[in-house]
Amino acid sequence: MSVLLAIPAHPAIPFALSLDFFTAISFWTGVGILAGTYTLLALGLQLNVGFTGIVNFGAAGFMAVGAYAMAILVVTVGLSFWLAMPLAVLITMAFGLLIGLPSLRLRADYFAIATIAAAEIVRYTAQNARGLTGGNQGFFCNTAQTVCFDDTWRSVSDTIEGWLKSAGWSNPEALFPLLLVVWLCVGLAVVALHFAQRTPWGRVLRAIREDEDAARALGKNTLAYKLQSLALSAALGALAGFFLALDLATVHPVDFQPLVCFIGYAVLVLGGLANYWSVAFGSIIMWTILEGTRFLNLPITDEQNAALRFIIVGLTLILLMAFRPQGVFGKKEEMVLGE
Amino acid sequence: MANSGDPILEAKDVIRRFGGIRAVDGASLDVKEGSITALIGPNGAGKTTLFNVITGFYPGERGSVVFSGRQIFRRPPHYIARLGMVRTFQITKALARMPVIDNMMLAAPDQPGEKLRNVVFRPAAVRQTEEKVRKRAIEVLELFALAKLANDYAATLSGGQRKLLELARALMTEPKMLLLDEPMAGISPVLGRRLLEHMQRLREEQGTTFFFIEHDMEVVMGHSDRVIVMAEGKVIADGAPDEVRRDPKVIDAYLGSGTDPVEEPKP
Repeated sequence: MSVLLAIPAHPAIPFALSLDFFTAISFWTGVGILAGTYTLLALGLQLNVGFTGIVNFGAAGFMAVGAYAMAILVVTVGLSFWLAMPLAVLITMAFGLLIGLPSLRLRADYFAIATIAAAEIVRYTAQNARGLTGGNQGFFCNTAQTVCFDDTWRSVSDTIEGWLKSAGWSNPEALFPLLLVVWLCVGLAVVALHFAQRTPWGRVLRAIREDEDAARALGKNTLAYKLQSLALSAALGALAGFFLALDLATVHPVDFQPLVCFIGYAVLVLGGLANYWSVAFGSIIMWTILEGTRFLNLPITDEQNAALRFIIVGLTLILLMAFRPQGVFGKKEEMVLGE
Repeated sequence: MANSGDPILEAKDVIRRFGGIRAVDGASLDVKEGSITALIGPNGAGKTTLFNVITGFYPGERGSVVFSGRQIFRRPPHYIARLGMVRTFQITKALARMPVIDNMMLAAPDQPGEKLRNVVFRPAAVRQTEEKVRKRAIEVLELFALAKLANDYAATLSGGQRKLLELARALMTEPKMLLLDEPMAGISPVLGRRLLEHMQRLREEQGTTFFFIEHDMEVVMGHSDRVIVMAEGKVIADGAPDEVRRDPKVIDAYLGSGTDPVEEPKP
């Protein structure tokens, strides 16, 4: 009883949950953008982990390199947004190759450590190279405030908003155009990856996942394939980085913590390994839980509430592992047979 | 045909150490084209390590390995496999979570669809090759009586069936020479006999060279043209099965001549 009495008086009924947010379009727009962004990130992880068997923990680093490269190319170098994006994708792919070349020869667990280290190097560099990245102030516009990295995006967003209005939506949600573009990209990426997986190229990747030595003994240059897998994952990470930056309207080191990659893995496990559609599903569930629990109206402090969200996510994953270890859409037979 | 051909594989003074242990300690041997040659020796003689050095899985420290007139010492495994020397493993490496047919199709050489740019820019060529490869894969599977399992996951096959699959898969690469590491180990006598029949027929029909490590002396003496014996990292005897069987050095190596053989660490 004394525990209960220690809880500060709270005007609301304890454990009440306001469900109003559940019908709010702004809530679902926010969830949708985050879910789409993390789907792109986790698609790269799925390609690496689920289909090539390389355990990449550096996805947050790919996002960071992509987002910073795009922002710097637009604001500091003065390139057009449309040129900066493909260039930033190429830079991120090159970064992926740079990490992969020395470390892909390592055993799987050491490779995982090397990639997480690489991602952290990127984040600490972004934090400290203030002249280039704005450090902990984040990166958005030039000092004169004349050029911002998302100028072009805003005019695109306005155009889409115009279409929405002419389609009959009188007061569209401000971020709705971003939602549309994110999920358009997700759709294209899922279809492309799904198709690529069914080609002989995808077959070699799966063979490497199953047994790299067997693939080498059959004449496959496995290092080249693992590098391709990593570079494509880097490109997807860069896309996710763009959308995160446009969503938050800033590029900030704190957005690229290792936690980002861990959430990507949680999405992967939730949806199921070795399936691309499942990634999108897992991401939506994940972000509905993460964002929905913000609205829990409990007699606890905000910090406790923030921690509680991750407790709920953790609990969900534990229950999933207990009752459906292959993930929602994973194939159980593939999981059992792998042992 | 047997024994009359030129050597297709020549290894000279190959050395490979693990720490202070010389697993392969200056081994030299050659294998004649179109022959079925066995590699025998007591446990720890360095047979598997020598296989690994020849096929590029372990870089050798010193020595020379020439295959089909080409120096392949310390070249990567995929390069050596593409030259036509393909190996199997002591512990079978079936690609467990892939169907049997995918195991087979993977192994076909020169597939344009294995390059992403062809997938995007030459889809017709990719599709055509894919059809051809699938047809051949099924033919080879029929040969090995595995066709009805084509769509099953490789993991569901029995140990003996996996050995057959591994051999069938190696054949999909259209090899000039096959290195088999204990092909008879862990399979039933019926499947074992079938495997030997396949070896004989392939040698006769396609001139494939076989070089295999085996402990079953009945198989070695009954089915090979030539036997190479290793002990303590060196080749100690080389000849027809009957000669080797009577060689006192070989009897010494197996029964012990007073000195303790150095144990090879198993990979």
